[in-house]
Amino acid sequence: MFLSKFSQAIQSENKGLHIMIVGCGKVGVTLVEQLSKEGHDITVIDTDAGLVQNVTNTYDIMGMVGNGASYSVQIEAGIADTDLFIAVTGSDELNLLCCTVAKQVGDCAAIARVRTPDYSKESAYLREKLGLAMIINPELETALEACRILLLPSALEVGSFAHGQAEMVKFKIPEGNLLDGISLMELHRNVESNLLVCVVEREDNVIIPSGGFVLQKDDVISFVSTPKIARSFLSKIGFNIRQARSAMIVGGGRAAYYLATQLLKNGIEVRIIEQDKKRCEELSILLPKAIIINGDGSDEELLREEGIDSVEAFIPLTGIDEENIILTLFARQFSNAKVITKINRIGFKSVIDKLDLGSILFPKYITSEAIIAYVRAMSNTIGRNNIRTLYYLVNRKAEAIEFEIEEESAVTGVPLMNLSLKPSLLVTCINRGGKILIPKGTDEIRVGDTVIIVTVHTGFNDILDILA
Amino acid sequence: MNRPMIRYVLGSVLKIEALLLMLPWLVGMIYRESQAVYYVAVASLCGLFGLLMTYKRPSSNVFYMKEGCLTTALSWIILSMFGAVPFFATGEIPSYADALFETISGFTTTGASILPDVEALSHCSLFWRSLTHWIGGMGVLVFLLAVVPMSGGGSMNLMRAESPGPSVGKLVPKIKTTARILYVIYLAMTVIEIVLLLVSGMPLFDSVTLSFGTAGTGGFGVRGDSIASYSVLQQWIITVFMILFGVNFNFYYYLIYRQVKKGFSMEEVRWYLIVILTAIAGIFLNIRHLYESGFKALTDAAFQVGSIITTTGYCTTDFDLWPGFSRSILVLLMFIGACAGSTGGGMKVSRGIIAVRTLKKELLSYIHPKSVKKIQYEDKPLEHDVLRSLNVYIITYVILFSLSVLLISLDEYDLVTNFTAVAATFNNIGPGLSMVGPTGNFAFFSVWAKILLMIDMLAGRLELFPILILFHPEIWREFFSKKQEREKAKQKAGDKN
Repeated sequence: MFLSKFSQAIQSENKGLHIMIVGCGKVGVTLVEQLSKEGHDITVIDTDAGLVQNVTNTYDIMGMVGNGASYSVQIEAGIADTDLFIAVTGSDELNLLCCTVAKQVGDCAAIARVRTPDYSKESAYLREKLGLAMIINPELETALEACRILLLPSALEVGSFAHGQAEMVKFKIPEGNLLDGISLMELHRNVESNLLVCVVEREDNVIIPSGGFVLQKDDVISFVSTPKIARSFLSKIGFNIRQARSAMIVGGGRAAYYLATQLLKNGIEVRIIEQDKKRCEELSILLPKAIIINGDGSDEELLREEGIDSVEAFIPLTGIDEENIILTLFARQFSNAKVITKINRIGFKSVIDKLDLGSILFPKYITSEAIIAYVRAMSNTIGRNNIRTLYYLVNRKAEAIEFEIEEESAVTGVPLMNLSLKPSLLVTCINRGGKILIPKGTDEIRVGDTVIIVTVHTGFNDILDILA
Repeated sequence: MNRPMIRYVLGSVLKIEALLLMLPWLVGMIYRESQAVYYVAVASLCGLFGLLMTYKRPSSNVFYMKEGCLTTALSWIILSMFGAVPFFATGEIPSYADALFETISGFTTTGASILPDVEALSHCSLFWRSLTHWIGGMGVLVFLLAVVPMSGGGSMNLMRAESPGPSVGKLVPKIKTTARILYVIYLAMTVIEIVLLLVSGMPLFDSVTLSFGTAGTGGFGVRGDSIASYSVLQQWIITVFMILFGVNFNFYYYLIYRQVKKGFSMEEVRWYLIVILTAIAGIFLNIRHLYESGFKALTDAAFQVGSIITTTGYCTTDFDLWPGFSRSILVLLMFIGACAGSTGGGMKVSRGIIAVRTLKKELLSYIHPKSVKKIQYEDKPLEHDVLRSLNVYIITYVILFSLSVLLISLDEYDLVTNFTAVAATFNNIGPGLSMVGPTGNFAFFSVWAKILLMIDMLAGRLELFPILILFHPEIWREFFSKKQEREKAKQKAGDKN
């Protein structure tokens, strides 16, 4: 009795959630990396002993070898105390089964990765019927992000907040641009007042700028605004804001299918190059409006023949990172097309950053962003202010978080200039009933708003965390 | 090699030792002993070094297996070197080599002593001797992990290098929580033993020091005849607790978390108890005729079996005078040792179980050459890697053991003395047979033989490889290489451009 109370005291001291992750693949390991850094108790399950060994050697977590869908394995791994169950094995069916069993055995929230197009259309139905907290589809998310970039090709990254009413746009200031050498105050006065520059990357530094900050060429800046203002601002400073009209995709995998569907919906002409004849036939049935080309996408002649020099966007989506990078470099050399590179593995990031590839997508991060946002909201015990969206910025050195304000607290009803905020933090945007406000010092946060915060501090669970 | 990190961990270990050295000082103050002042002096010295070494936090906390092993080995060596200073400074042990032997014997929970007369020591020194057992039993780095915040999975490499047993599992996902749970169980059991001994009428000082010795499965007593002059009840309490501390601590974890069934289905614990009962029965029948009362024979048999198999090394009688069969049983128990994941030493029961199963499998493959059989342990199939490292462990064990016996025989004592002296130190037990038996001590060996035995004790406590790796030239080549600094300089130059 005495001992059990004692040990409970030890356990309760760490506030982290108990999280169980089935599947130690790429997504599984990314999740482990981020979640263990945020102080949660993690148990991983995989059938491959080698993979489990690897991940337990690198991170401070517990590993178990076994079938994650099995009742007894889940019991042994401690499902009874688990708060959140995440299934990210390679098989959709297994993931759904794991979650279904876990929901029956333990009292926990469950997240499953489901990426086959067959199910993805029904994901809302599946989620509701199986009682899952979330269904994630990295390929679809990647495609949506790629699509957002192609609709605004001068941007390096486009993130969407508040159901798309606000956007965070990232771009690089070219030499001789209007913005080179002006301060943010001048920018507001002379160019566009209704936007907020929230992060500036200069060389290896991440800066959350204040009004006196002077922009330079080669700075990579991110700003938050409504999509309309963002476009007019970019055109004012001499950027091309016309969306791409044609796109060439190399590789016909799931991500390519999702991207093509999105692009066709937005009236962009799509060409897909795929090596496997059978897959080509499938794609041609699934995507009747797209041009499907059966050939080797890494064949220079074929790319020229299919018009790589005239296409407006080029997206290599093969499963091999090295091939994607080479194709991107090739495209940058021979055409003016907007290129987006998908990188699956995260190793050698410093080399990749030096290559000047333009827009880079990391599907692993896109998945973990969504899950981390959910976990942060879950471990938030202070109030009921939920996290809606979370984006990693600049190699995860900064975060943009959208909070939903559901109740009165120390931050509501007070003009922003009277709040003592943490340094290197900005309240970038307030969404009040669908209207986007770029806040001034006199504005205040009200109940019912959603608020977007940009910060270099990590691990915010609650809007109150912004206070110093 | 991440030298700043190694330095930082070693510094933290010294800081902990400084705090621990304050305890014997307190004891000395209570008994008004002049020796206490040396403990304060050494404590401040440790604290000073510790503070200097931890002044600068290392920039990177990347920690690989080799760093883990090296740090563990170095921590134990540094810990012993500083821990030996008070014995030497107070003049109670006139030679530093002897003081070091005594301290290493303490920290490795061996309990082999070079002191002819224990009772001549001051209370503070006796207390410090027993306290080293308690610290060494669960491990100082495990303690470090429990109290010092260290992020990153690399810290697992520290725990793995220090904890006894073929494979180290965590109880809960976080290493810090695991370390804390272990220490809480350890502390709680020690306190229970102290209280029981007090209730049975033992003086406070004796109950605390003897409990420390039992908990760490060490074996330093505070009386010249070890435990023999205590009452039968007290002997039984110590017997039971010795056996309890030799049980895999996972067992207690399961009990606390109401997974009683899982706890009792642990094969290792079952076999451990079976071996103990068989050994007690064998010895009892063998020595029955030497005693007038059967109960006294049983008490002595149980005590000695519990003491030897858990590698504690307390004794209630001079078992060197027992018949050959009983002595042979005791020597065999020395090698079996306690459970993995306990505070005891030796080869560990789990290794024994797996080794026997490997043998069975091998025999089967002679009868059915094409048969396929996976060895199971605790209801789980064992990976090839685990078996391989277990076999290598046993081979290494035999080689080191033979080598030590060979080298120590240069001192020209009889074979039983040499053999059991190595067995008793390598398995962290304490007393052996013949000249190093319960009534003897290790003082007569030459300095070189003592150094050899010190290495044996450390190797035995740290499961051989962390100590062996110290003898691999590549470790030191990497440790002293200037490559890191060159790379750092290069990076800095790059940043400026």
